[in-house]
Amino acid sequence: MSEFELLRNVTIGQYLPTGSAIHRLDPRAKLLGGLFLVLAIALAGSVLEATLGLALVLGLAALSRIPLGYLLRGIRLALPILVLVFGLSLLFRGWDQAAGAVYWEWGWLRFTRYSVWLTGLSLIRIIALIFLTSLITLTSTTTELTQGLEKLLEPFGRFGVPAHELALVNMIALRFVPTLAEEMERVMKAQASRGADFRRRFHRPDQAARAYLPLIVPLFINSFRRAEELASAMEARCYLGGAGRTRFVVLRGGWKDLLAALGCGLYLLGSQWLAWPSLREVLRGLGVNWF
Amino acid sequence: MDSIIRLRNVHYAYDSHSADPIPALQGVDLTIHDGEFVTIVGHNGSGKSTLARHLNALLLPDRGEVSIKGWKTTDLSRLREIRSTVGMVFQNPDNQIVATIVEEDVAFGPENLGIPPGEIRERVDQSLEWTGLTELRHRAPHLLSGGQKQRVCIAGVLALRPQVLVLDEATAMLDPQGRRQVLDLVHRLNREHGITIVAITHHMEEAVAADRLVVMSQGKIALEGPPRKVFRERERMEQLGVEAPPISQLAGLLHDWDGRFPPDALSIDDFVTAVLRESRFQTRVPPRPVAAPARPKPEPGEPAIRVQDLEHYYLSGTPLETKALDGLSMEVGAGEIVGIMGATGSGKSTLVQHFNALLRPHRGQVEVLGQDTADPKADLRALRRRVGFVFQQPESQLFAHYVGDDVAYGPRNAGWSHREVRLRVQRAMQAVGLDFEKFKDRLTFALSGGQRRRVALAGVLALEPEILVLDEPTAGLDPAGCRQLMEHLLNFHRTAGTTLVLVSHDMEQLAQSCDRLVAVAAGRLALSGAPHAVFNQREELHRLGLGLPAVTEAMHRLREHGLFESDGPILELQQALAVLQEALA
Repeated sequence: MSEFELLRNVTIGQYLPTGSAIHRLDPRAKLLGGLFLVLAIALAGSVLEATLGLALVLGLAALSRIPLGYLLRGIRLALPILVLVFGLSLLFRGWDQAAGAVYWEWGWLRFTRYSVWLTGLSLIRIIALIFLTSLITLTSTTTELTQGLEKLLEPFGRFGVPAHELALVNMIALRFVPTLAEEMERVMKAQASRGADFRRRFHRPDQAARAYLPLIVPLFINSFRRAEELASAMEARCYLGGAGRTRFVVLRGGWKDLLAALGCGLYLLGSQWLAWPSLREVLRGLGVNWF
Repeated sequence: MDSIIRLRNVHYAYDSHSADPIPALQGVDLTIHDGEFVTIVGHNGSGKSTLARHLNALLLPDRGEVSIKGWKTTDLSRLREIRSTVGMVFQNPDNQIVATIVEEDVAFGPENLGIPPGEIRERVDQSLEWTGLTELRHRAPHLLSGGQKQRVCIAGVLALRPQVLVLDEATAMLDPQGRRQVLDLVHRLNREHGITIVAITHHMEEAVAADRLVVMSQGKIALEGPPRKVFRERERMEQLGVEAPPISQLAGLLHDWDGRFPPDALSIDDFVTAVLRESRFQTRVPPRPVAAPARPKPEPGEPAIRVQDLEHYYLSGTPLETKALDGLSMEVGAGEIVGIMGATGSGKSTLVQHFNALLRPHRGQVEVLGQDTADPKADLRALRRRVGFVFQQPESQLFAHYVGDDVAYGPRNAGWSHREVRLRVQRAMQAVGLDFEKFKDRLTFALSGGQRRRVALAGVLALEPEILVLDEPTAGLDPAGCRQLMEHLLNFHRTAGTTLVLVSHDMEQLAQSCDRLVAVAAGRLALSGAPHAVFNQREELHRLGLGLPAVTEAMHRLREHGLFESDGPILELQQALAVLQEALA
């Protein structure tokens, strides 16, 4: 309804505490395991394998007692892009491979068995990936994630990876998202009161840029001012860099966490090494013969 | 008492290596004793914040020395000890919180000190308990109120186990309720836990309960002593650009008139007791009724704004839906000055944002200058040109390099001719007391805070709106800046006939400048009427979490004691003095 209330609902890394076993996993295990599963799903070469990955993710969601609605919300946000990409892929990838049956052809449009297969496979993979990443953020707090990341990156410190700084910057960025969103809303309203026009002007990017300048400049200047004040406040609280710091929240990984990460790793290895039959072969084996 | 902080002949200048350094401290000598409560006041630019930053080695003196428990602040090997001994809380709580969860933010300091996790937890628990935040420990900071956020910042400093707490205008950005929370906490910390407090503030009322008041001017300590003594030096304080709280001023004026009355009063209670004590020995003149002087009221013209059964919801359609306005009706007459008051969260900000269609009604009707804002065909840009809106801290919305360009932004958007724009910019800048020729080519970001606020105000005035809505226009300014800004605004109102809608927490300001007051509570209209009528409903105001101006409150209590009779509240200092003189003569 309101033209300005667009940012009040920004939620990044929305956390949904249900107290499940997945929630209680060490964030390091979740990040590492998640990485393995992402790789396994992204590299899945057959519909069957991708579906299995999706089923696994849904199983984990059930285990963490996250309602399906929350996972679907992630899909809803990505929907316009998904539709565009899959529409194009369905229409144009038919030319990629000469072989295979052609289902339908009209002018330069061409649906082939290959294009349908490819689109279906990517669809399953993308949905599984979106579910998986939402699942990780829904079951871990931002602190857990940043600290997990810091701990995982720590061994790379000797190669010059600033693990502590990355984690701190990440945390501060997340902390300031709602503050800056609020500020943006206020500046927008103030400039609109002085006759600014924030209607979208895709056909005139020069005009659009000029219209947004009075919005961007104060936001930047205020962010710099905030950064300076934050730096003083951090210094006043004895922050002198990462050396010699301790942590309030201590990560204690147990055998369960190890097992979870190992399990995901094994799944990745298995999915890469085993020869997966294609869906058609499986169906044929079951006596179904549609194709 | 042992001294804990000692400053000796401290000099400091910003840009000290440039061609023209800006001196901020010019020879400050100050000793702060263990367990003391010291308040430092001074006009903008008097050097008080610079002084604060010397107390924990955020700044190091150019000349002279600062020592904390005998450690010189220039000794870098003692930096951790110094900063954990002298904790510091800044003005804006939003810019001090690092973590996304309250308790983790409180833990940030001890983490930096390298304390083992078990002890960090102990310290966090204790700090949260002292600040009354135990219940909120798992919350995200952005969901807290201003006062709560500032308490989180204080808890974060307390976790360092400091002996001294320095508050650098820590209440300046808070509403009265948040300010009360923070002040109560700070006094409790001083009293019960023996923490030394150094508080820097613009609000003279906050200095009242201090052990010692330090007035700074031009980088030096100009006046120093117990508040009671300092407040007596009214002329000297005026020269220094600060003013005693209204109640102390009234006591001083009464003392000048009749030396039997004590020249100092720190609180309303103090004043009332003193006056009653002295008046007891008087031969009682039968009290005479005092008529409330009526302010010449403008002829109520056509209503400029008409609000009918207005409802507004935030986050509608989600489980977090909140009703901000709940069937509110009111009117603002053309040419009136209407003050809007209400506790934080009462819905007053939501209400006024309907006045220039930044928000549109979810139910009910808002008609501004004859235009229904819910009408989908309404030209909102044209309407917003006729209804100016000045947000809180408007200087944070400035964007142009040059003052003139920023002020011209509105008129240029309106598409007026170059000549017309120039003329309007000139008039607007003059209206806020900025000389056009002198300031138009100045760099916006090189101006002082008070000047930038006036530039921002000029940017709205340049549209020459028929209605001007102001949300806390003087918040965060020093007393001189406040007075100046209000004078410019009222002048503009008088010359241009602009309708003013003023949202404020400052009861003195509302009482003095408004024709009519409207109190909003829980999204509804709670009270409405002339200042005299509204401030006559003392109990109702208290129930709404609002108060009376201090002088009005004191006079009310004296009236209750039968010292005089009056058919209305006494709103102004001079009027109060006249009434007392008559009653006590």
